[in-house]
Amino acid sequence: MADILEIAGLSFRYPDSPKLAVSDFNLSVPEEEVVVLAGPSGCGKSTLLRAVNGLIPHMYTGEYSGHVRVGGVDVKGSTMRDLAQKVGFLFQNPENQIFMFTVERDIAFGLENLGIPRAEMRERVDEAMYLLEIGDLALRAPHELSDGQKQRVALAGVLAMKPRLVILDEPTSLLDPKTAAELVDLVGKLRKELGTTFVVVEHRLDLLVKVADRIVVMDDGRKALEGTPEEVLFGDEAEAYGVTVPSVTKLQKMLAADGVLPPAGLLSPAELAHAVEEERGR
Amino acid sequence: MHQNGVKALDGVSLKIGPAETVAIVGENGAGKTTLVKHVTGLLKPATGVVTVDGKDTRTTSTAQLSRRVGVAFQNPDHQLFSESVEEEMSFALRNFGFAPELVEQRVRWGLELFGLEEYRKSSPLVLSGGEKKRLTLACILAWDPEVVILDEPTVGQDSIQKEKLAGTIRMLTSSGKTVVVVSHDIEFLWPMQPRVVVMKAGKVLGDGPAAQLMQNKEILDSARVAQPQLVEFSERLNKRPDVPFADPLEARRWVEETV
Amino acid sequence: MMWLSGGFIFRRGTSVYHRLDPRAKLLISILMFATTLLVRSLYELAGVLSFMVAVAAVAMVLRRVARTMLFTAGFSVVIFVLNFIFTRNLETSLLYAARFVAIVVSTSLFFITTSPDELEQVMKTFRLPRDVVFAFVTAVRFIPVMFLDTIQIMDAQKSRGLELEKGNVFRRVRNMIPVLIPLVVNSVVRSGELAEAMESRAYGAVPKPTSLVEYRARTTDKAVAVAAVALFALAAYSFYFVFPAQIL
Repeated sequence: MADILEIAGLSFRYPDSPKLAVSDFNLSVPEEEVVVLAGPSGCGKSTLLRAVNGLIPHMYTGEYSGHVRVGGVDVKGSTMRDLAQKVGFLFQNPENQIFMFTVERDIAFGLENLGIPRAEMRERVDEAMYLLEIGDLALRAPHELSDGQKQRVALAGVLAMKPRLVILDEPTSLLDPKTAAELVDLVGKLRKELGTTFVVVEHRLDLLVKVADRIVVMDDGRKALEGTPEEVLFGDEAEAYGVTVPSVTKLQKMLAADGVLPPAGLLSPAELAHAVEEERGR
Repeated sequence: MHQNGVKALDGVSLKIGPAETVAIVGENGAGKTTLVKHVTGLLKPATGVVTVDGKDTRTTSTAQLSRRVGVAFQNPDHQLFSESVEEEMSFALRNFGFAPELVEQRVRWGLELFGLEEYRKSSPLVLSGGEKKRLTLACILAWDPEVVILDEPTVGQDSIQKEKLAGTIRMLTSSGKTVVVVSHDIEFLWPMQPRVVVMKAGKVLGDGPAAQLMQNKEILDSARVAQPQLVEFSERLNKRPDVPFADPLEARRWVEETV
Repeated sequence: MMWLSGGFIFRRGTSVYHRLDPRAKLLISILMFATTLLVRSLYELAGVLSFMVAVAAVAMVLRRVARTMLFTAGFSVVIFVLNFIFTRNLETSLLYAARFVAIVVSTSLFFITTSPDELEQVMKTFRLPRDVVFAFVTAVRFIPVMFLDTIQIMDAQKSRGLELEKGNVFRRVRNMIPVLIPLVVNSVVRSGELAEAMESRAYGAVPKPTSLVEYRARTTDKAVAVAAVALFALAAYSFYFVFPAQIL
């Protein structure tokens, strides 16, 4: 499978800034992968995301070097029109990306912009609402929706454009844990059903571990860590970069380091308890 | 303080005393923020009474009540407006009638405590999200309220910032203040072993020590509150500890002693 | 601020009136407005006002319209007083004051029964440039959001000791600064975020965007429009020729 996203030697500096927001960044993401991007605030995550979907350099200018390719096509050389159909971006605040007064019209927003004929638009809007289970909200106004619902509407609008790669910027920050877990399940389902690749920026790694294939940690514009969730969370450096390591994982690490438990993959609380009991049995 | 209300809140009665650490948990829409707003009179109860330090919230202004109860709302962008960080910090102090020398002293203290001295003369609007949150908390602590209420303080914060926050809360409780934290972040709250108030649909489902409440599956499921990982771990062990582990170090010690 | 919202903010409705083509609703309000300007006596004005009340009843927004009338009447007292000082004529002054109320109600009736989507459609019919229409609709869409933001900002600042209810006029205006600045800043930030979202969804990709929903005027709408014009013509005729001016 070809890489859907290829970032090579990307560096970017904003016009008024003395330092590079992103510095010599490299990343290859194969199709259908879920990559979690983490890192302390100010590490350049936002800039990187915008370089992927084309807002940099098309909306934000600056010193740009290196390249970003999505689906084999160079971002710098494409128009936002083409990029919008390849890369979807779910911004952090759902409120500020819903424009229309009716849910279904907002989902159609991107399609209207592309001049898609009405019949096809109707189909795609209905499909997006079905995928996100918001069909009953079709005629509601945005201020009548809860935060979780607004987010689904915004995501539907993004998916209606049928992108191969979808970026989610801190999607769980406004949600309570159960709703956040539902969103994570949704990401897994969409990946499977649509074959979409996801890049998710998140602090709450414990929620995403279920569905993430890889974690990339950024710091100060550079890539600091990269690996599978196990590799990153079991490593010693994660906490130094502000990555929240789940408490049970911390426990597992300590017990493994002390030789009490054999090394194993990431265990859930129940699995860890079971492992401890097994050791006790010996 | 105690209260009782209807509609968004239904028959809530709560008493919180000095030097307590209280966590209010529950899903979005359970009424947590509504409850908090009643404490400083931003909302008045339809039935029942809310008294803070003996004062009835219906007859006292929010500004006056806030002298005793500092509330850190979730979104710092809803309150930052001054030309400089130091002005921002003096705003509340001046409103509460602090003398100028005292204002200067408190501002310096707050900036130091939260590591924001370098931004003293900068505009608060150019700070990062995490720094803004620290600033709003610094502003509140500067006027030294007896009660500090934090509404979702960990949203968008990385683990280093959360550690610092936990430390600040510990410091506040050890200096005799009451701290109320409204949060989804069960994992953040658990090591503090606070008193936990579980809310759902405007009602209080449970009110008690964390160790006790977090083992009550019925209440947790009903309120859609996750169980802390270490609690689940403790419960799944065949030979259980008397009290679920508060943090990984405690758990490790126990495991290594008994294996 | 509250009556403003009651008088001009759209709220969903199921009445026959709500379901009319927005162009018909606009026409009706414009004709009501024009009729108000033509009246020359209190009787005629009473007629127009009762018509408006009848329409409000059909649209099932009677309570809101009544409240708007009440609050506007408060303002129109000023108009009455000023007029009376200059003309010393009770009836003329009353006429002008009441006319103000009627004007406000006719406009209000349009806005409270027409959704921003319909407003957009009307604007498109008038061939306004896409960017203008879009900016307008988005602005209206965010009115309730900004309303909520304002309340949250006030809550936050009150919690820092800001007294918004005490003090003389000057003090109160000054005290609004800590509320206005965050509001403005948030709006600016919001515009930036909206711009990013727009770009990311290919705004401006195609000169003539398509539309998911189509608005076509039904026979009912056309009939109503014709009836409205006929009624207006009748009213104008009767005000000018049948009932000669009693008061100017």
